[in-house]
Amino acid sequence: MTQLEPPLKSKTRSFLKKKGIIEIFSFIAVVGIWEFVAVFIVKNKFALPSFHSVVVSFFEFLSSGVMLMDILTSLLHLAIGLTAAVCIGIPIGAVTGWFRIADRIAYPIVEILRPIPPLAWIPFALIWLHLTHYAAGFIVFIGATFPILINTYAGFRNVPKVLVESAKVLGCTKDHDLVKAVAFPSALPFITTGIRIGTGVGWMCIVAAEYFGVSKSGLGYRLWIEGYWLHHMDNFLAYMITIGLVALVLDRFFRYFFEEKLLKWRKEIVA
Amino acid sequence: MTPKKILVVFVLIIAAAALTIAAVSFLTPKKQSLTHLRIGYQPSTHQIAHMTAMEKGWWEEGLAKFGIEEVSDYEFPSGPPEMQAMLAGDLDIAYVGATPPITAIYEGLDAKIVAGVQIQGSHLALRLEINYTGPDDLRGLKIATFPPGSIQDTVLRKWLIDNGLDPENDLEIVAMGAGEAVSAITAGAVDGAFLPHPSPAVIELEGSGKMVVGSGEMWTNHTCCCLVVSGRLIKEYPDVVEQIIRIHINATEYNKSHPDEAAEIYARKVGWEVEKVQYSLNTWDGYWVSDPHIGMNVTLEYAQVIYDLNKPRYDRVLTEGELFDTSFYDNIIAKEA
Repeated sequence: MTQLEPPLKSKTRSFLKKKGIIEIFSFIAVVGIWEFVAVFIVKNKFALPSFHSVVVSFFEFLSSGVMLMDILTSLLHLAIGLTAAVCIGIPIGAVTGWFRIADRIAYPIVEILRPIPPLAWIPFALIWLHLTHYAAGFIVFIGATFPILINTYAGFRNVPKVLVESAKVLGCTKDHDLVKAVAFPSALPFITTGIRIGTGVGWMCIVAAEYFGVSKSGLGYRLWIEGYWLHHMDNFLAYMITIGLVALVLDRFFRYFFEEKLLKWRKEIVA
Repeated sequence: MTPKKILVVFVLIIAAAALTIAAVSFLTPKKQSLTHLRIGYQPSTHQIAHMTAMEKGWWEEGLAKFGIEEVSDYEFPSGPPEMQAMLAGDLDIAYVGATPPITAIYEGLDAKIVAGVQIQGSHLALRLEINYTGPDDLRGLKIATFPPGSIQDTVLRKWLIDNGLDPENDLEIVAMGAGEAVSAITAGAVDGAFLPHPSPAVIELEGSGKMVVGSGEMWTNHTCCCLVVSGRLIKEYPDVVEQIIRIHINATEYNKSHPDEAAEIYARKVGWEVEKVQYSLNTWDGYWVSDPHIGMNVTLEYAQVIYDLNKPRYDRVLTEGELFDTSFYDNIIAKEA
């Protein structure tokens, strides 16, 4: 028996070292604890639905096609908000980061508007854009704009002086040319980070954005109507998890697109 | 990852589990003496009975002999969060619409309706340019109301069907809260809103619309708000429950005989102009009650609607015994007789 122990130990060790094994064990442990606490300790599906009831609810919505429609609707709201946020956040961030006077003009306005929660804009979304997808997109826009703007600003503010000086020596003296040839490429990693953060924040606004009757589908809409309002906490959790999963997929996509495609050249600079 | 690190990860998971269990057992309500009564309510003219009892100190005064030293009230924007708070053990009694407790009891809330609070009291308000002559004029309009499963959504849909309209195809019903609905009709984003008072009165006073049909005309004597008491209080402190209902009856009767003072109490509580509140009370078709029997049949109809809405999740319709405990109210009436 003692002779068998070392190979068994090393086999276990090498098994655990395999990619993904620890993560799977960790996930199983969390799910097991969740199920145990819900079924044997809390014993109240209202206070804590069990993991299996959430899974059942998830697949019911998925198989009926309702969840797919909800995901597509929410992605539409995100796309509207994010497009507007990129179109407004990047130019303002670039101008305020590059020109001191623009920074002084925009600073108080941005800093007053930035801390206002997107939820507070709901009445104006209703009044200005009525019950349309654009109203939901507006709430996403409010959430996504400032991370993009601030990161773009930081990117333009932090352009290495040596790059600007070198460009000037080489004949690139106009602001337009310096921004195009030096500042923008230099700030691009900041801008892409801002877009990633903005996407995450904008996605977090989806629940609020779909609360006030802008559509009859959407992850946030379903979360309220099928989960919260009727106290179906398993549906509620299933949609919470879906919101998290879609965010994960979106982030992986942006990460791949930005790091592997747009900023591929940086791979040789940064480890 | 070395075995040592793996061990650390698993120890952390176990520690997290132990903390969760400890937190849950800490949060689970334990039997303790009742010295603090916690009341949930909504800022609606439907629930002025609580506000009157609170302002006049009747809760504290009437419950002091049962060892209650403090009475706190908590305001909620709608029924669902109020019921969530009750489930979490943060509320002992709740003034709430009749449908949120039904869905909550379906989902495991240990509580019962012990008294009535108010009947009818909602209005359909339409934008000024819409010439309303009957339900048929609502074809093609967009009407805001509370979400499916609420009293307003249930009453509105039933009325539309009774009048030969299909709520799914003949018009658009959009779900939202009262504040959003008032903003939506003001902005012209919807053509009308079916809401409990005082919101329809606000719409009319602000010139954004006019009240055209009262909920009593849609469904005569439909229940709206009720008084819900936690199962813990009913089982462990029946004397307190009886006293709570007695105070509620007194406050209701006081409001009925002093409507102007009731309006002032409400205005002070929510920070409104008293004229606005009086306008709401003069134009609504609601009336305050305390007898739980009055709205019982309609509440059981709501339970049927909620069951139909949630089939096959619910395997049966909740019974009278599962939703109501009228024994306290009946005792009080019997003693007084």
